Amino acid sequence: MAQSESVPNRTEGEPLLRVENLQTAFFTEKETIRAVDGVSFDIRRGETVGIVGESGSGKSVTARSIMGLVDSPGRVLEGSSIRFDGEELTDKTEKQYRQLRGSDIAMVFQDPLTSLNPVYTVGNQIKEALRLHRDMRGAEATEEAIDLLEAVGIPDASRRVTEYPHEFSGGMRQRAVIAMALACDPELLICDEPTTALDVTIQAQILELLDDLQDERDLAIMFITHDMGVIAEVSDRVNVMYAGEIVESAPVEELFENPRHPYSRGLLNSIPGNQPDADRLSTIEGDVPTPNEQATYCRFEPRCPKAFDECSRVHPESLAVNADADDHTAACLLYPEDASQAEAVEAHETRGTQEVSER
Amino acid sequence: MSRTDEREDVPLRDRIGENPGPALRWLAGALLLFALEAGAVVNFVTGLFGPGVELPTLLSRELIPNNGYQDPATGAWQETFFGLSPALAWAVRVVLVYAYSFVVAWWLWRGYLVFREHYRYADWTPKDDMIDRLRGHRWGQFGALIVFAFVVMAVFAPPLGPTTVERTISNPYSYEIQYVDGGEIQSATVGEANLAARSQGSPDQNVGPMQYDEYGRFHPFGTLPSGKDMFTFMMAGARVSLFIGLLSIGISGFIAAGFALLTAYYKGLVDLLVVIAGDSIMSLPRLLFVMLLSVVLSGTWIASVYNGGLLLALIFAGTGWPVMWRAIRGPAMQVSEQEWIDAAKSFGQKPRVTMQKHMAPYILGYLLVYGSMSLGGIIIGVAGLSFLGLGISPPTPEWGRAVDIGQSYVTTASWHISFIPGVMIVLVVTAFNALGDGIRDAIDPESESGEDEGTEAAAAAGGGA
Repeated sequence: MAQSESVPNRTEGEPLLRVENLQTAFFTEKETIRAVDGVSFDIRRGETVGIVGESGSGKSVTARSIMGLVDSPGRVLEGSSIRFDGEELTDKTEKQYRQLRGSDIAMVFQDPLTSLNPVYTVGNQIKEALRLHRDMRGAEATEEAIDLLEAVGIPDASRRVTEYPHEFSGGMRQRAVIAMALACDPELLICDEPTTALDVTIQAQILELLDDLQDERDLAIMFITHDMGVIAEVSDRVNVMYAGEIVESAPVEELFENPRHPYSRGLLNSIPGNQPDADRLSTIEGDVPTPNEQATYCRFEPRCPKAFDECSRVHPESLAVNADADDHTAACLLYPEDASQAEAVEAHETRGTQEVSER
Repeated sequence: MSRTDEREDVPLRDRIGENPGPALRWLAGALLLFALEAGAVVNFVTGLFGPGVELPTLLSRELIPNNGYQDPATGAWQETFFGLSPALAWAVRVVLVYAYSFVVAWWLWRGYLVFREHYRYADWTPKDDMIDRLRGHRWGQFGALIVFAFVVMAVFAPPLGPTTVERTISNPYSYEIQYVDGGEIQSATVGEANLAARSQGSPDQNVGPMQYDEYGRFHPFGTLPSGKDMFTFMMAGARVSLFIGLLSIGISGFIAAGFALLTAYYKGLVDLLVVIAGDSIMSLPRLLFVMLLSVVLSGTWIASVYNGGLLLALIFAGTGWPVMWRAIRGPAMQVSEQEWIDAAKSFGQKPRVTMQKHMAPYILGYLLVYGSMSLGGIIIGVAGLSFLGLGISPPTPEWGRAVDIGQSYVTTASWHISFIPGVMIVLVVTAFNALGDGIRDAIDPESESGEDEGTEAAAAAGGGA
């Protein structure tokens, strides 16, 4: 996909999904955890947007916020905006949201072992979705379920449709889950680490399948993973998340060729095989901090090899990395790189105060 | 889950249509078994709308009568089954009742096997393993056996007793019996005979277990201090206990399951509210609260339904659900964390359907375990209330009342009055707990007995191969 010529022109028209300043916080007795803290990005039709980051960086919570599936004690905060096809989702009631789920936005989960209920046949679970949104039942629904299973490349679908999940292999199961998600012809498919639980060959097949389905149905895909290799394979555009924030956003080739944020660089360096000469795999020391307060500093600073004094004082905002780059932003005080360091810090500071006052 | 739900492509009816042989054979057997007892069912159903229609039935008292008198001339028993002694005639009937029940149970099991072999899509489901584990669980089988015996007692109470509740307990002066006195056949009312058959503690005024009284009547469990037959009393009491137990477990299980699903699905505030409600009920001393309620509500219309049985069932359900809810809330929470719940939500499934279809099947097993375990507690509770003179109002038989009225005779010749019901309560309650244990171990695939079964089976298979 990344290499294909059909990369849509990003400036054209309204995006399918526009997330602006999304903030999702979990209110526990001890503290408020700002799992997603001011995330903005958009996804266009037929485009695959990757979201990449370590465990605990808020990728899944972002996906669940879009689906409206944040469990108590979590909440999407005021001031967040999720616009899908021109409609604001954050104002919707639970009932309206339910109409949307499945028919407009669908989701594929990480573990195909558990995302199918083991006590029902695969066909039954696909038909459940068909019945809900397309009011199909009986033989008609069975036909459709078989077609869907065929569409996701399951051989002998008419027999498979009556089998239980335990009779499917891992890859087959994930295909069935994708069939379930596609049952109601969604426009946006959110894939939350769909290949993490699969082995590498199966992983490639699933990615190829998603690619084919995207071409056929003009699907927009939001692809969450921590695997840089998968991201390179699948996405048109990449957002790098760290501690609830998007720290860098760029088209996939640009990001891999020219990573700007020290965190993105660290991630790319820690791919096994990227530095064939090194004895040891380079890693990013430390853990993702728990974002439990509004940041007035850079959350990556404690782990950053390039940190300087200002980093603990000024919160970096997403700014273009240089004057020429119109489609590459990074939230790091080192950028814009064509400005002097003092100017850059200044730019982040003014941008930050602007945004705070807007909120 | 029902076998006819839409999970399979072809409905069960069509699958049977394709291969009707085994199903028809099973059905024929089932009809035959039913025909033997059809009279009782017809009698019961028509009895709801007036006097019941009498049809000949295999297990009726009329077919195998055990009340008669000994011919003074020949010494042979008259009016009993084949001239057998009342004790033997009664024993024949009891054996027949239990044999019939076992055959019915076995035939139902056969039916399941036929379904499994010929009509089920999957050649293996996790339930098969559960059944296998239960089959290797001795303690659970002990429980199942006693529970089975107890349920049969309750269902077949009328033919099991040597006489009927109507004749000996409710209306003893409306029925006459014939007996032999001084070489002549005479007749007396049951009430008069009962007066002579009282168990009052002294050796000359006592009818113990497996004894005849002066009127030639046989008493398997002896008589009560009033002279009424205790075995009849106990069988009818089993019915009352089982009714109250099942009804209150049914209601509290339903409430508990509903709340467990709601709290696990919605969490947060809903959970908190139910925790507060449940904890407030649990913090009350249960027996005292139950006593208070049964006294306060004893004057209302609801207390007159089934001699207070319905009221007791409701009280026990109302005070018992928090315990069950606590027990199944954990499993429900666990299921709600499964990804398939998220998946169901993510394609827009309604909360009610998600709970019913994707969560409920996983807590039903736990419900069964805790239900079976607390059933014993309710039986003890009802017996305890009757012992204290509350609960089921006389003359309706209740085991606890037998313990109560026999307590002053415990050290005398009439020890059986308290002892037998006491032992039976202990047995039944233990059995329900044992059954619960068995089901729990069967449901849990990691339980020890299950693993042993598995390795044994594997070893056996390996040896065979």
